[in-house]
Amino acid sequence: MALIAIIDDDPDILDASSLVLKSKGHDVITANNPNDGYKIVKGKKPDLIILDVMMDEPDDGFYLAQKFRKEGITIPILMYTSVSKAIGLDFGKSEMVPVDDFVEKPISPEELVNKVESLLKVKEVK
Amino acid sequence: MNNFKGNILIVDDEKGLRLGTKRLLEEEGYNVTAAENGTEGLQFGTNKDFDVAVIDLKMPDIDGLEVLKEIKSVHPNTVCFIATAFASYETAIQATRIGAFGYIPKPFSPEEFIYQVEQGLKQRKLILDAHRLELEREKNLLELANEKSRLNAIIKSISEGIIIINTNGDLAYYNYAAIKLLSINNIQIGEKILDKLPVHVTDIVKKIFQSDKIMLKSYTTEFSLDADNELFLEAACTPIPNPDGSLAGVVIILSNITGYKRIEIIKNQFVSMVAHELKTPLAAVQGFLNIIMDQSIKLSPDKQHDYIQRSTLRLKSLTDLVNDLLDISRFEMKTKEREIIEVHLEEIICSTLQMLELELNKKGITVEKNIEIKLPFIKADINEIARMVTNLLSNAIKYNKEKGKIFIDISSSKNYVVLKVRDTGIGLKPDEKQKLFSEFYRAKNDMTRGISGTGLGLSIVKRIVDSYFGFIEVESDYGVGTTFLIKLPINPN
Repeated sequence: MALIAIIDDDPDILDASSLVLKSKGHDVITANNPNDGYKIVKGKKPDLIILDVMMDEPDDGFYLAQKFRKEGITIPILMYTSVSKAIGLDFGKSEMVPVDDFVEKPISPEELVNKVESLLKVKEVK
Repeated sequence: MNNFKGNILIVDDEKGLRLGTKRLLEEEGYNVTAAENGTEGLQFGTNKDFDVAVIDLKMPDIDGLEVLKEIKSVHPNTVCFIATAFASYETAIQATRIGAFGYIPKPFSPEEFIYQVEQGLKQRKLILDAHRLELEREKNLLELANEKSRLNAIIKSISEGIIIINTNGDLAYYNYAAIKLLSINNIQIGEKILDKLPVHVTDIVKKIFQSDKIMLKSYTTEFSLDADNELFLEAACTPIPNPDGSLAGVVIILSNITGYKRIEIIKNQFVSMVAHELKTPLAAVQGFLNIIMDQSIKLSPDKQHDYIQRSTLRLKSLTDLVNDLLDISRFEMKTKEREIIEVHLEEIICSTLQMLELELNKKGITVEKNIEIKLPFIKADINEIARMVTNLLSNAIKYNKEKGKIFIDISSSKNYVVLKVRDTGIGLKPDEKQKLFSEFYRAKNDMTRGISGTGLGLSIVKRIVDSYFGFIEVESDYGVGTTFLIKLPINPN
C-alpha cells in the first residue's frame, strides 16, 4: 500500500477522494493550497501526488507540478481537475504539463482507484 | 386652330405677297406672324423663337440678311429662309453662310412655298430633337461625373481598406484605409504590389490568378501583422471578371477585426471559467454520493448525514451560481425591461437588513446607520437596486469578523446619492482589490477559507452601478476592513 498526497482547494472533494483511497488501504495526506501541498510532498515523500489545477490560486497546480519536476521530484503526478479542455490546454502534449496522467472531474471511485494503481505499478517497474 | 403645325414668321415689305402667304399658311394650319419691314421682322423674330422664318432679301429699311443674322444670334434654332426675286449664286452662298436653311426664289407657286416651309419645319424638328438629345447627354455626363466623384468620396472615407490588383499584379486602385491598415507607405497606382502585401493575401490572390475558372465568390483570410496580436485583419479577396468572362483582377477588402477577436477570447475564457465553476460543485456532490453508495466503504450514520448535508450545500451554491449567471446574462442582453420608479435607498437598506437578520445574528454583527434626513429619491429599477444592496451587505457579513460591525452611510450631493458600506472584516490585499470586480474572482487566503460564494456578486454590483452611470470605489486595509463607496445619479437620464 502506498502514501498518497492529495492537493486540492475544495475541502469536499478532498474528503471524498481521501475516503475512497483510504478504503482501498492507502495512506492519505492532504493539503488545500499549493504552499501546504509543496510542504507535505517535501516532508512526507509520498508515492503519488493527486494534484488539482487550483485555478484561483496564484501558484496553481501547473506551477506546482513544474516546481516539483524542476527540483528533481519524480513521483507520479495525477492531475485532477474540473478545468475542461475548453480552456485551451492540450493535455495530450505533456511537455507543457509535466504530469503522468490527467483526469477530468467528476470521476468515479473505481476510475480514481484504477488510475492511482496503474500509476503506482509503473512507478514500481521504474 | 385644331391642327397646329408651327409658328411661322413672314417678313416682306410687299403687302400682297405678305398677306397672300400668310393666308395660305393659315389655311394649312400654321400660326403666322407677318412683319411689313426689316425693323418689324427683326423685332418679332428676336422676341419669339419661331419655328420657321421666311425673310425677303430686299427691304427698304434693313437688309434681309441683316435681319436673318440678328434672329439667328438670338434664336439659333429658328429655321430661316431667304426669299428673293434677285436670285443669284452669291447671295445664296452668303445667306447659307450666315445661317439660312434655304433659299426661295420669287416668284413661287403656293405648293412650292408650302413644300419649303414643311421642309423647314422638318429641319426645325430635327434641330430641336438634336438639341434636346445633346442637353440630355450633357446632363447624363454631368451626373456620371458626379456619380464617379461621389463613389470616390465614399470609397476613400470608409474604414475598410480597398485594394484592386489587375492580372499583371499591378496596383489598380487603393484607398487610404488600406495603406493605414497594412502600414505600407509609398505605393503608387500601376506599380507591382503583390510583394508588398501580407503573405496571407498574396497567396490567395495568386491562387485566384492561377485558377482556370473564375468563381464569383470571396476568399477570406484572417491574420495579424504584429507579433503582439494587437491588430487582427480580415482580407476578403474577390475576382473581378471582364465582360467576356476572363479575369480582370482582384479586389481585396481589408477589415479590422481586432474588436471581434478580443470579444471571442473573452467569451472563450468566460465559458471555460463557467464550466470550471459548475463542474467543481458537481464533482464534490458526485464524490460524496459515490462514497455513500459504495458498499465497500463503511460509513457511520453521522458521517453519511454530514456528507449529504455538505452535498446539499454545494447544490444550493450551484443554484445560486446559475441564478447569478442568468442575472449577468440578463444584464448583458438587456432582455429584462426596466421599471424605473422613484426609489428610496434607505427603505431598500432596511428591508435588506431584515432579510439578512439571520446571518447577522449568527455572526453577532451589529449595524450602524447614518442616513441623511430628506434623502432624495433616485430614479431606478427597485429590483436592481435591491440586488445591489443585498450583494454588498451579504459580503459585508460574510467577510466580516465574528461580532464585527457594519457602518452604513447614505448622503447626497447635487446629482448623486452616495452609499458607503464599511465592514470590520478581513479586508483586501492590494492585488486582490484590483481583481475584485471581475467574474469568478474570489479573494483566497487563510482568512477566506470556508466562506462560500459564486464569485459573481461584486461583478453584478458593478454591472448595476455602471448601467445607471454611477461610480463604485473600494477602500480596504488587509485585516482591518473594507469600504465600498457607490454613487448613483439621482436621475440617470
